[in-house]
Amino acid sequence: MSLVSVQGLSVTFPSEKGPVAAVRNVSFDLKPGEILGIVGESGSGKSVTCRALLGLLPRRATIGGRMIYDGRDLSGPAEIQAVRGREISMIFQNPASHLDPLMTIGDHVAEPLRFHFGLSAAEARAEALKLLESVRIRDAASRMDAWPHQLSGGMKQRVLIASALACKPRLLLADEPTTALDVTVQAGILQLLRDLNRESGLTMALVSHDLGVIAEICDRVIVMRGGEVIESGPVRDVVTNPQHEYTRLLIGAQPGRLPQMAEPQEAPAGLVDLKDVAVHFPTRSGGGIVRAVDGVNLSVRKGECFGIVGESGSGKSTVARTIVRLITPTGGRVMFEGKSVADLSGADLTAYRRAVQMVFQSPFDSLNPRMTAQQTIAEPIWRHGLASKSAAMERALELMDMVELPRSFATRRPRALSGGQCQRVGIARALALSPRLLIADEVTSALDVTVQAQILRLLTRLRKEHDLTVIYISHDLTVVRKFCDRVAVFQGGRLVETGATADLFASPSTEYTRDLIAAAPDMDQAMAERA
Amino acid sequence: MTDLASTASVHPAAPRFRHGTIEAALGAALLLAWLIAAVGAGVFAPYDPNALDLVAMLAPPDGVHWFGTDHLGRDVFSRVIYGARIDIWMGFAGVIAPLVVGVTVGLIAGYFGGLTDTILMRILDITVAFPFFILVIAIVGVLGPGLVNYIIALALVAWVAYARLVRAEVLVVKRLEYVQAARALGFSDFVIILRHVLPNVLGSITIYAWTDAVMVILAGASLGFLGLGAQPPTAEWGVMIADGQPYVLQAWWICLFPGIAMVTLSLGFILVSDGLSRRLRVSS
Amino acid sequence: MNSISFIGRRLLQIVPVLIGISLVSFFLIMMIPGDPVRMVLGPRATEEAVTAMRQEWGLDRPIWAQYLSYIGNTLTGDLGQSLKFRIPVLDLVLQYLPRTLFLVAYVLVIALPATILMAVIAARNEGRWPDQLIRVISILGMTIPVFWLGVLFARYFGVKLGWFPVSGYGDGFVEHLHHLFLPAVSTSLWLAPLLTRNLRAALIEQTEADYVAASRAKGLPEGYIFRRHILRNSVLPTLNLLGVMIAFLIGGSVVVEIVYAVPGLGALMVGSVLGRDYFVIQGLTLVYAIATVAITLAIDIFTAAIDPRTSE
Repeated sequence: MSLVSVQGLSVTFPSEKGPVAAVRNVSFDLKPGEILGIVGESGSGKSVTCRALLGLLPRRATIGGRMIYDGRDLSGPAEIQAVRGREISMIFQNPASHLDPLMTIGDHVAEPLRFHFGLSAAEARAEALKLLESVRIRDAASRMDAWPHQLSGGMKQRVLIASALACKPRLLLADEPTTALDVTVQAGILQLLRDLNRESGLTMALVSHDLGVIAEICDRVIVMRGGEVIESGPVRDVVTNPQHEYTRLLIGAQPGRLPQMAEPQEAPAGLVDLKDVAVHFPTRSGGGIVRAVDGVNLSVRKGECFGIVGESGSGKSTVARTIVRLITPTGGRVMFEGKSVADLSGADLTAYRRAVQMVFQSPFDSLNPRMTAQQTIAEPIWRHGLASKSAAMERALELMDMVELPRSFATRRPRALSGGQCQRVGIARALALSPRLLIADEVTSALDVTVQAQILRLLTRLRKEHDLTVIYISHDLTVVRKFCDRVAVFQGGRLVETGATADLFASPSTEYTRDLIAAAPDMDQAMAERA
Repeated sequence: MTDLASTASVHPAAPRFRHGTIEAALGAALLLAWLIAAVGAGVFAPYDPNALDLVAMLAPPDGVHWFGTDHLGRDVFSRVIYGARIDIWMGFAGVIAPLVVGVTVGLIAGYFGGLTDTILMRILDITVAFPFFILVIAIVGVLGPGLVNYIIALALVAWVAYARLVRAEVLVVKRLEYVQAARALGFSDFVIILRHVLPNVLGSITIYAWTDAVMVILAGASLGFLGLGAQPPTAEWGVMIADGQPYVLQAWWICLFPGIAMVTLSLGFILVSDGLSRRLRVSS
Repeated sequence: MNSISFIGRRLLQIVPVLIGISLVSFFLIMMIPGDPVRMVLGPRATEEAVTAMRQEWGLDRPIWAQYLSYIGNTLTGDLGQSLKFRIPVLDLVLQYLPRTLFLVAYVLVIALPATILMAVIAARNEGRWPDQLIRVISILGMTIPVFWLGVLFARYFGVKLGWFPVSGYGDGFVEHLHHLFLPAVSTSLWLAPLLTRNLRAALIEQTEADYVAASRAKGLPEGYIFRRHILRNSVLPTLNLLGVMIAFLIGGSVVVEIVYAVPGLGALMVGSVLGRDYFVIQGLTLVYAIATVAITLAIDIFTAAIDPRTSE
């Protein structure tokens, strides 16, 4: 018998343009002891489905259908309240915002113990300590009285898990629990979830956009798109033999399945050289120094695609900003075609600005919300005096063609564009000045995988057509492996190692790189390991 | 089949969106009515606001004097209408002067940061250390009573709220990637501040400014009441209330009508502010 | 351990502000158009009298020397002499101050419970009629001029019904309560709506916070979540506003004190401005500023005690 049975679930939100269905006629079962994966891209309704089970949707949502938990019909607020915590508990994507900033770590875990099991303060505290240790928080005793903001993202997620486990639920809903975390941290959390399932038989539903993650720990998977279930079945069957066209598209867009786009070439001439570059900031409270980047030496060759990988805080973005001169290095020099970038001024600086352009991470934040796509793309052209304003607007349309953005989108503002379309506008704006070096900083990390695949294809084409040198910054090793000719690995502001992509992945020379490669979730590899 | 609709209250977002619009429209209508009254005071007011009629002193409201007359026999209705000119002017000038100062300071401090920011923020700290109304009274006290000095005092004192608001928003917007992109594209700081930063921080300033107008009008009328703002015999609502204070028992109308006028005008400003902020919140 | 260093750092930040305050109040006198001595002595004063007063006030010395002696005097508690009352300004301030403080405390005692009650009711009924009603009340409260309400209240409840005295401060605590009732209520009618709007917005924002969803997912009761999580997190922003408002209130008491003829600092201030008693204006401005700085400091320390994030 199944633990949870969802039958014909639908969720509708009101909007200015009338009701919008977020989830339509969704049915699935959860068997005791299994890990069910719910995979889908943004807007697929996977999170909404999950939240509906615990009644966590906004009041304005209209919910239809049946949800049955262990024979109980979760038909109203009272019925749902009865299973919350004690039977079904949940962990979330952004652990930082899901912890009360004014409550200590220990209290977060002790709180449900006192409520559900009537433990005294002292008993709850002792039990909370055990739970924190069980989710492998190092030095848990001394962390009991710490505040959430004093912990790293991975530690916060462990606290959130401990707090959910304190209710001793039979079912744990995990809504993108590792999406906001670094890959090495993600690997640890996934391992923890898998162990909880194996050792104590905890049933789980894992919502994720990442088939690699799903493939690593789930038994069965349901694929959602546009609020509907497209396909479901054991993970192996769905991955190896997808029935639905969209599932095939999704699987094909996995970074590991992308075609090899890198084309290493003989190009000895250096374009950008970093010589002992350091960027230090004073800490906010004063006194200390943050070494965001320290002692970095590297050389990017003309015409190549150079990848920079690293986790958060590795300094990879700071390096990018230093090259485009958004940040002035506190030590060392950035050389472009043999000239020190810091010394440029006047016409030389303007020429440098045109030669080196950047595309940013966040599709929406990287565009001025008040300007149309066409205005955004045209602005650099006329401001640099390369053409009149009207000629620049005309040229902007050509640039839109170049990035495969329909001309009919010319008058749209960012809010009326999708993430992928915004990124195309950002790329067109960067290309407007015909740069020779394009720096792409995590340009696909906020996008769905299918869109990521398109953007990567576009960048590859543009690179060839315009003879661009590209510096591609990413946390995703699999993408870098497919896309870049050479790679540099960063950790804690320092360059760990650098080399030709194929060599580096085949035989990493440092332990950190080895860990990083091992931790990167990959669908095919996960399937192979589980066989 | 059980319908789970009972878990969600029937309170859709769409009417809420209209709500904000209705409020703003109501507020705008009130403001417009007062604006028309003020501009056309010469047409709408049946009497000269300062014409004395010693025969009809303290006359109660009737068909001749709709709002009655005051202790000098002046027509209260005409004075309320003419008073709108003073109080509306005060509201606009008293908002725009500190707004211009504050937005400029906030943009510069927030965008450039560093030493500039530190110095400007210290000046701000010092200004906020003085209670708003006290500093206004003190400045008016040394410069001499009067409306122009009140506006000068506001420009010197009330800019801090705008500066803080704008600086906080600029600090957020400055980190956004489109501003970084503009810098990478080599645009000048002036262009970036004016074209890329300012338009995106105007929303919250506008909302605040409408509420601020209420404070400016209330404080200005208070000054008039205390004898430190508009000077008699100017028909200003605060001055009129002060005039009527000794007679409020036998001639309630002298005080009542200017007060109601002030409430309705303030209501107009607040409703517009509220409506705008609700619409902004729903659309974002 | 951390909080001590926080308070120390905060105190250090205050030093430049205090210097700035002293400069402003010093230069306030310099802003007087024309010659203050002539303004005080009148146009027909003899040249000797003007020179004598100039010397007495030290106006013949260079500005920096004047400022230094001003600082020196201020630090020793000498704020100058009132031209009107012929007694030291400090004595005058100490005489009037308690009444204003009493009034401010009175207002807070009335306004704060009302604010919390209204905000909580409104937030827990967001969008429903109690919320709408409280919204209308709070908007009206913000638009009603305090002095106008004061005039109407004083005449109606004071003179016509004779329930409350309409002037003075009375003797003894109970008398104070009686005398200041109308002034406190009319001020609260303006303050409570402002705070209510703010706290309501903060409560609603916190109700939608992620950690509330997480608490619900753990099966914690709604009432408990509201008290332990939502309310606590909403107090912080309102506390900051309260600090600003108390400072505002001290300034705003001016009008109420005039309307109800309460002999407090505000009444003294207006009297001095109208009577061109410059040293009292200067001294009072300084006292008000120092009081504001002290309140802001107290609120900051209080915030730091509640919020672990601020002391780092």
